This record gives sequence, C-alpha cells and structure tokens, in this order.
Amino acid sequence: MKTLKFVVTAVTLILFAQVSSAQFIKAEVQVSGLTCSMCQLATEKAMKTIDFVATVEPDLNKNVYEISFKKGKNVNLDQIKKKVKDAGFSVSKLVVVFNFDQLKVSDNFHYTYGNSQYHFMNVGDKTLNGPVRLTVLDKDFIPAGDFKKWSAETKFDCYRTGVMGTTRTYHVTL
Amino acid sequence: MKKLVVLLALLAFSFASFAQELYVSTEPASNMPKDGIGLRMTQEGAFENNYQSRLIPEVMLGLHKNLMVHATAYLSDFFQSRYKAEGWSAYAKYRFLSIDSTNRHFRGAFYAKYASSNNPVLFQEINLEGNNTGWQAGVVFTQLLHKLALSGSVNYNRALDNRGGNLFPSNFAKESIGYSFSGGLLTYPKVYRDYKQTNINVYLELLGRSNIGTNQHLMEVVPAVQFIINSKMRIDIAQRLQLWSNMSRNGRNMYLVRLEYNLFNVL
Repeated sequence: MKTLKFVVTAVTLILFAQVSSAQFIKAEVQVSGLTCSMCQLATEKAMKTIDFVATVEPDLNKNVYEISFKKGKNVNLDQIKKKVKDAGFSVSKLVVVFNFDQLKVSDNFHYTYGNSQYHFMNVGDKTLNGPVRLTVLDKDFIPAGDFKKWSAETKFDCYRTGVMGTTRTYHVTL
Repeated sequence: MKKLVVLLALLAFSFASFAQELYVSTEPASNMPKDGIGLRMTQEGAFENNYQSRLIPEVMLGLHKNLMVHATAYLSDFFQSRYKAEGWSAYAKYRFLSIDSTNRHFRGAFYAKYASSNNPVLFQEINLEGNNTGWQAGVVFTQLLHKLALSGSVNYNRALDNRGGNLFPSNFAKESIGYSFSGGLLTYPKVYRDYKQTNINVYLELLGRSNIGTNQHLMEVVPAVQFIINSKMRIDIAQRLQLWSNMSRNGRNMYLVRLEYNLFNVL
C-alpha cells in the first residue's frame, strides 16, 4: 500500500513537473559557526575552488556570501554545502535567485532545472515572474532543529532523503 | 583563592562583546579548514636564574573537515647553556561533535599527542612541549554562545623515559591530569567590512595540572593578546603567571610570542 501511494504520488508529481526557460542567477549562503575573519576567508576560498562558481562576495558582518555562477555550467548546491562543511562550518541559510518567466507554482509543485528538481513547499498558488528568491529547506541547508520541524510537517519522503527516484530534489519555499 | 580566580575569569568573559576561540595556550574543539596548512613559529622564554628560551617551529595540516594534525619541533637552552634540538611531537585532533546555529555553536573533539625529548628528566611536571617523552590523550569542548566563547579540556598524560639514556626517575609521578578553561573575545573591529581589517582578540586561560598519586598540583593563568592580519597571519603575545604549584618545574612565568601564517586549499 505504501509503495502504491508512493508510485501514485510520484506519477502525479512527474505529470505536474514542468521544465521552462528559467535562469539561475545567483545564490546567497549564510554560514554559521564562523567566529573569525580567518575562518571566513578559508570558507570563501573553499567556495571559489568550485568549477561553476564565478565570484564570491562576502558580507563579513552577516556571514553571508553572494555567489554568482559561470554561464553554461551546471550548478550543484550540494557542492557549495560540502565546501562550507569542509572548511569546518555549516550552512544556516541558502537562498537561490531564479529568473522566472510566468511560472505558475503551487504547493508540492516540482520544477526541473539542470540535473535537479525543485520541490515547492508552503508557497500557495502563485505566478512567479522575474527574479525570485527561493530558500532551500533541505537537510544541512538549514539549522538541524528547523529541518526536524519541516520533516514533521511534510508527508513527502523526498524531503527526508533529498531524492525522488534518482533525481536530486531540493525543497524550496518563497 | 582558587575559587576567586575562576570566578574572576568567568566574570571577565561574561562582558565579552564578541567571542573568539583561536586560543593561544590551548586548542579549541574546532579544526582547521580541510586542505589548509598553518605554519607557526613560537618563542617562549623565562627569566629565572638567567634568561632561557625555547623555539618551537610547527606545521599544521587540515586533512579532513574533522581531522587535523600538528608536527612540532623543540629547540632550547633550558637544560644546557647552548641552544640544541631537544625533541619533537605529533598531535592529532578529531572533531566528533558539531552543533552549529546562527549565533552559537557547540563542538567537541578528541585529541592525542606523542612527544619525544632527549633532555635529562629533572622536574616533576610532565611537560610534553620539549621536556618529556610521553603521550597525551584528551577531550575538549568549545561553546560559542552569542557573545561568549568558552572552552574546557581535560587530558591524561603518561611520561616515558627520555631519549639518550635519560630515564624517567622512579620517584616521580609518571601520570598527570591536565585541565584547562579558556575564554576569548574579539575587541576590534566592531563592524566587519574587509578581510584586511586587523582583528584584535584578547584571551584569558587557566591551565592546571595534577600529578596522579603524589598530591602535586599547579595552576597558571595566561592572559594573551592576538592580532590577525589580512585574515591569514596571526601574532600571539602571552604571559604565563603561575598561581600556585607544589611540583618542581622549569620555565615558570614564561612569555610567549608566536607568528602563524595560514595557507588555504593547498593540500
């Protein structure tokens, strides 16, 4: 029964999933655990080693890094998270900015971009146009306590696993 | 007296404006970034009967986000009139706990050290920074709580015979327990804009040691000031002050000057 439910959900979601000509503009990463400028510089330099990252602009006072991406490269948000963790810290918030062209979204709407899917949570029915800030809600992209809260609220297994089938699925909200 | 010192230290740091955990005399539970190299040159000195000092070059590597190692050499004129190479040590620290949120983090790490020395064993204090051959294992926890960074650690030390036929005296305690309590605060800049702004941090650390089975104890307090330049280079200046000790030791009330340079993403 559980499997059937999963298959039905998956099929429904795939049907609703939509591919469009949106563009990934940039990401803003807030890093927690940082206590000194040496740690901040180490984190920035680690992120700059990622092949799809063009520039990293830090706000040292807020521990927020604005990351712009190279054109034509596949963006992998997990890589950003990994670099932050390797530097010894954690991502406490990651906002991705997409440029949308009249994209209709609703709760649990799935959007495919690059090699990944973006699962909209708690957004209601809206049409997204122009640059839109989406906050990633997945594990290790928000504080552990917040992840637990979201896990308790959602029925979707892909929230806990981060994958649907074999596709990396990020969960985002407005 | 003992309680007063602890209380004063706690009080000093409860007024901290921003926390800092790059302690001078101890290691925090946090690690170096993966693939980073840190190069250190430390000089310690004391004016007892005459001026004696020790030079300590050190290389630190961030092997994994949770694992870092140090390799250290010791040179001094503490046991003879001329400078000589007296030993080396290897240190590893594994971070097993990391709970981060925006304005606070709590971290825990295990560490272990092996030190080798060719000096004669003349003092009851087990000192793995050049004096003694031996090993150490310990645990450290560091808490950053909004404006307060505190770190506490406990370690077990086991002395062995020194190299060069310098046996460990049978009437000395072979084992000791070390403990420390550290606090740090960032005093400048108040607002961060640029990596080039020099940070000025001040620290206060309490370093204690008790020899097992002999009722020998010592306690030092170490105020320190630290400058971080260009977010890469670090200058530490510290002064150890012995609060009490009933074990024989050398290098009482040592000063420390250290230069550290960090390279990122080089491994």
